This record gives sequence, structure tokens and C-alpha cells, in this order.
Amino acid sequence: MEKIILNKLPVPTFGWLKVNSAERDSAAFGSGEEREILLDSNARAEITGGRAKLMINAEENSRSTAVIYISGSEGKTVSVHVNAAAGAEVKLVEVYENSGAAIGDVNAEIAENAAFELVQLHLGGEDTLTDIRADLAGRSSRFKADIGYLLGGSDKLDINLIASHAGKKSDSEIAVKGVMGGKSDKIFRGTIDFLNGSSGAKGTENEEVLLMDETVRNRTVPLILCAEEDVEGAHGASIGRIDDEQVFYMQSRGIPTDKIYELMAKARIGQIVAKIGDEDTVRRVNAVIHGGEGDE
Amino acid sequence: MKEKTQVADIDRSLYDFRYEEDERDYLGSGITADIIKEISDEKGDTDWMREFRLKSLEIYDRTPMVEWGPSIEGLDIDNIVTYIRTKSRMNTDWDDVPDDIKNTFEKLGIPQAERESLAGVGAQYDSELVYHNVRKEVAESGVVYTDLESAMHDERYAEMIRSHFMKLVPPTDHKFAALHGAVWSGGSFVYVPKGVKLEIPLQSYFRLNAKGAGQFEHTLIILEEDSYLHFIEGCSAPKYYEAGLHAGCVELYVGKNAQLRYSTIENWSKNMYNLNTKRALVDEGGKIEWVSGSFGSHVSYLYPMSILNGRGARAEFTGITFAGEGQNLDTGAKIVHNAPDTSSYMNTKSISKSGGISTFRSAVTVNEKAVGSKSAVSCESLMLDRISRSDTIPVMDIRTDKADVGHEAKIGRISDETVFYLMSRGLSEEEAKAMIVRGFADNVSKELPLEYAVEMNNLIGLEMKGSIG
Repeated sequence: MEKIILNKLPVPTFGWLKVNSAERDSAAFGSGEEREILLDSNARAEITGGRAKLMINAEENSRSTAVIYISGSEGKTVSVHVNAAAGAEVKLVEVYENSGAAIGDVNAEIAENAAFELVQLHLGGEDTLTDIRADLAGRSSRFKADIGYLLGGSDKLDINLIASHAGKKSDSEIAVKGVMGGKSDKIFRGTIDFLNGSSGAKGTENEEVLLMDETVRNRTVPLILCAEEDVEGAHGASIGRIDDEQVFYMQSRGIPTDKIYELMAKARIGQIVAKIGDEDTVRRVNAVIHGGEGDE
Repeated sequence: MKEKTQVADIDRSLYDFRYEEDERDYLGSGITADIIKEISDEKGDTDWMREFRLKSLEIYDRTPMVEWGPSIEGLDIDNIVTYIRTKSRMNTDWDDVPDDIKNTFEKLGIPQAERESLAGVGAQYDSELVYHNVRKEVAESGVVYTDLESAMHDERYAEMIRSHFMKLVPPTDHKFAALHGAVWSGGSFVYVPKGVKLEIPLQSYFRLNAKGAGQFEHTLIILEEDSYLHFIEGCSAPKYYEAGLHAGCVELYVGKNAQLRYSTIENWSKNMYNLNTKRALVDEGGKIEWVSGSFGSHVSYLYPMSILNGRGARAEFTGITFAGEGQNLDTGAKIVHNAPDTSSYMNTKSISKSGGISTFRSAVTVNEKAVGSKSAVSCESLMLDRISRSDTIPVMDIRTDKADVGHEAKIGRISDETVFYLMSRGLSEEEAKAMIVRGFADNVSKELPLEYAVEMNNLIGLEMKGSIG
């Protein structure tokens, strides 16, 4: 049994909060030889167990989209390396619909004028940890992340995201929307790091968390690190229940209270589902969220 | 050639004077059981306090240094003098204070402030309180404002102090809390009885004059039900090449429906390590308001903590940090929501220039019991050049769905658009930038008493110069 330290906060904080990193037993997250998969410009992959390393090498001025569906009850480790050359546009969709333990990391190198878009959706999960790093190395490089989670029961989710700005006029935009119910436990660490030399860079980060049950535990850790004068960085977080006025309005329209919460939760996660784009994946995701064929 | 508009460093010349100490007044440096016993002998400690100090030393020895925050490698604790004998016993008449000590505080304007706007004043010089006085009408209302050590030996307060002393900040809290428990000296005790509302503030001023020394004062304030107090503390020290250490401790007990405003202007010199611990426990319907200006020190770790322990308790924290050359100021606040319908609000500003490092660090914890609680955090950072650094590290830990927690933070430089707008209204570029920086700090300065707001403006010393083109 080997302990591994994951999802380290780039700059540690108060020890008693226990948010500086996560410690796990490596055996729970898949075993065997690592499979290497090279994804082409319009790739689909499904990972159900074991250890997989996926690579996206986007050539200059190319466009590519990859969809990775992570499912099943086996433990797994999924690593994705993205190399976006100058002017390339890469979109990566990751859906975690796994009941077992999972580690996922995404490492992206983004060159001049290149763009990397990540859509990551978590539909439950016994113990999922994802570590995302976007290196905005080139001038005017761009990174956009839309992350959603729908957690219930005793689901556990731990996300660590770092947008590292080295390139001048680089831009990052991180939006996280989640719904938590039951005894679910989630931690989101999001860091915008403006390195010295990244003048003209901009970074924004926002997390909205809808809490549905009194037994949930939510931790939000949004960092801005700044070693450059000419940058603009902002982060925001909003954590709580549905606004009472919204509930009252919907009740006045005859909608039962239970249904109101269900509708609002689905609407919240639906904002991330809408970013997926790929119709087959959207249909499959909606089937999980709404049940049946997912045509809602 | 274009010259950038410059914002000057804080002018500390007002604070940077000193008087030579007689080295016979120093106890040995370092932290040993013998030194602790010697401090106890000097002070005539009661048995429980002797035991408490030695127990704290044991905790100190076995507690590791913190593994986060700015480096404190330059602090050689074995060379810090933890206690300096006073040349003067505690006085209540200003004329009885020795001349060099009196001159120090006269230069800092302390007696003048007392005459003009304070209900009482305490002044600590190195390890001991040298002066304490409270207005007659304030004393007659039942308010106690005295030095902590005298109060400990006074049978009227001894048991109250014993039952509160280092209960909020136990020596096990962290290494420097343990150090404080072992070597603490000086500080103030304030007791405000039920229903008494002090309209004018009390003030304690802490001055560390000695070279290579530490100051470990303890402030204990107890507010009974439905009372009000504004307490002000100021801190300064002259600059030496040896590192100095401030590891004070502030414990505040805010009773039911009571309200305490605790204002601090900290201007330790740039050789100081300011590792201070402040904590408030707020009962039902009570309110703690922290107003904090951090301008001095080489390294600061300062995060006042509010524990909202009764239904409807509230906390507000308003802070500004200015980190200039050679400074690494790690400041912020911690709030624990521990009861229903509690609320908290944090509003901070930080400025970094000339290679200074400013870090805003916070923690908001909403526990299972704190249903119906609300918290909002807002922090803004301004970078004045590209050799400085500014980090924002907030944490929110929410354990109930019936809470409403918001957080927003911004970092940036002086906006060109705003400068352009102000220039279109007739201001020069220098005037426009100066106005923006002053305005940035305004939310904090307006929370301070007038004389402190003026002091803060002096501290910021926003002198703008430069040619445009």
C-alpha cells in the first residue's frame, strides 16, 4: 500500500483547514501497465478502469475536439496531455460518471495565440480527484474551463486547477457550477498565477455552489498569485441555498417545493452540459441527470 | 525619457529614534527553564502562573515551526532577549515616568492623545507597562483598565483572569502562542460591566526600544452583557540591524449583545518579526469589529480570529496592508461561525511596492450548527510596480446548506481609464494617481478615529512625483 500526495495547493495555507493537499492510497486508483492513447483531431475515448495516458498534439492553426468518458466501478487513473501549438484551438470534454475511485489529471501547454477549452463534468463518484494545469506560455494564449458537478449520497470530489500565466496578454476564464446533496464532500482549489512577465494578462474565476442538504461539506479555495503589475485578476464565489425569493416565486406558480429544488439543480448543471457540444455525449449525460433517454 | 510615477515608501522617521538600554537590565537571551523561572521571580508570579509558564515552555519545545507563510529563518530565537527589567514601576502619574521613556511617548503623541480624546491610556515600554491611567468618571462607572499583572494579584480580578487567560488562545495553538505563554510580560486588562457603554476609546501603546529583544504583551478584554468599548492599540519600534520579535496575544470576550471595536495601527520597524495572535469569542447578539492597519515589520503573520459562538453574533474585519521594500506582510482574518444566524463581513485592501510582498490569507468556517448564517468577503490588491508581489489565499469551509457565503477578490494596477477620466477633469497625471491610491485606502481610514486616520495618511506618505511623456 503506497500513500500518494495529490492536488497540492501551489501556496500552502493554515494547516488546520486541511486543504493544502489530499492523501490517498494509490492502490484504489487502478493498476497495471499504463496505456498510451494518441487522440486525433476528433477523438472519442471511454475509460472504464486501469491506468491510461492520453495525448493531444494539436499542430499549428489546427482545430481539434476530444471527448473522454470515464465510467464504471473500477479504480482508474486518467492522464491527459495537451500540446496546443501556435494558433491551435483544442477542446477537451471529460465526463466522470464513475462509481469507483478515479484520479484524473490534465496538463496543457498553450502556445502563442493558441486556445484550450476544457469542459469537465462530474456526475457523482465515490472518490474522484482531478488535477488540472494550464500553462499559458505563449503571447495571447487562452484557457477556458467550465467545470460542473452533481454530487449526492457520500460522493467525494477534489479538484485542483492552476492557470499559470507566463505569456503576455494571456487570458484565462474559469467557471465552476455545482450542486451538492446528501453527505457529499467537495473541495475546489482554483489558482490564477500571474508570473513575472505576463503583462497585459487577465484571469477570472468564479464558483457557484448550490447546497441541497444540511449534511453536505463544501470547501472552496480560490487563489490569485501575482508577480506582475500590469494584470487584471478577479475571483468570486457564491455558496448557499436557492434564493428564498426564487423559491417563493416558483411556489406561487404552483410548483411543489421538492420539484423546485430539483429543477434548480438540473438548471445549474445544465449550464455546463450546454458547453459539451457533442450531441451523443449530451444525450448520454442527460440520461444520467434526468433519467430515461435524456431528451429533456 | 519616460519616468514612471512613483509612490514613496512609508516614512518611518517619526518612529525611528531610540534610547540606549543598560544591558544589566536584560535577562539572558534564548528560551530556557532557568530564564522562565527568573521571569516568574521578577514578577512574583502565583504558583499557577509559574506552572503555566513552564508547561508552555514544554509545549514550545515540542511544537514545530509553521510550514506555511513567509520565511522566518532570519529570526534566531536563541538570540532574542525575552525579558528586560523595567527602570520604572508602573505609574499612574505621567510626571513619575522616567525621562527617556516619557520622551519616547511624548514624541509619539501619547499623553496628548489621552488629554484630547481618550477615556484611558496604557503605555508599555519593552517588557513592562510603565504607565496606566483611566479617567475618573470612567473608573466610577465600574470599568477596569489596568495592567494585567497588577490585576492578576488583585483578589477582585484574580479568579476572573485565571479563568480567561490563554483559554481562547491556548499555548498548544502554535509555536509562538506557546512561546508567549512561557515568557509573556506586560499588557492590559479591561473589564466593562453589564450595560456600560464607553463612548470614548481606551488606548494602549506598545513600544519596543531595546535592541535584539522581544515583546510579549498580553491583552485581555472582557465585555459583559450589553456593553460597548472601542479599544485602540498602537505599536512601533526603532530600527536596528538585529531582528526583533513581537509575539503578543490578544484575547477578547464579547458578552451577550455587547459590542467591541478593536483598532490597531501597527508600525513596527523593518527588522521586526510580528507574530501576533488575536482572537475574540462573541456571545449571542454580540459584535466584534476589527480595524487593522499593517504598515511596519519585516515579516508579519497576523490573522485576527472571531469565533461567533452565540445566536446572531456578528464580526466585521476592515484591514489595510502596505508592503514596501524588504517587507513580507502576511495578513488577513479567520472567522468561525459556530451558532445560528451569525454573520460576518471582511473588507481588506493591500498595496505592494518596491519589491514588497503582501499576502491576504483568510478562513471562513461555517459549522453544522450555524444555520441561517451569512458571510461576505471582499479583498482588493493594488500592485504599484512589477518587482513586488501580491497573493490572495482565501478558504471557505461550509458544513451546512442553510448558509449564504460570498467571496470576491480583485487584483490589478492603477487603471489607465480612471487616470484619463480624472485628467479630463483637469487633474495632472500625478494628482490623478495620487487621488486613486488615497481613495483605495479610504474604506479603512474612514473607520479609524480621526487622529489615527491622520497617522495612517502620514504612514502611507503618498508622495507622487514624475514626469509624463
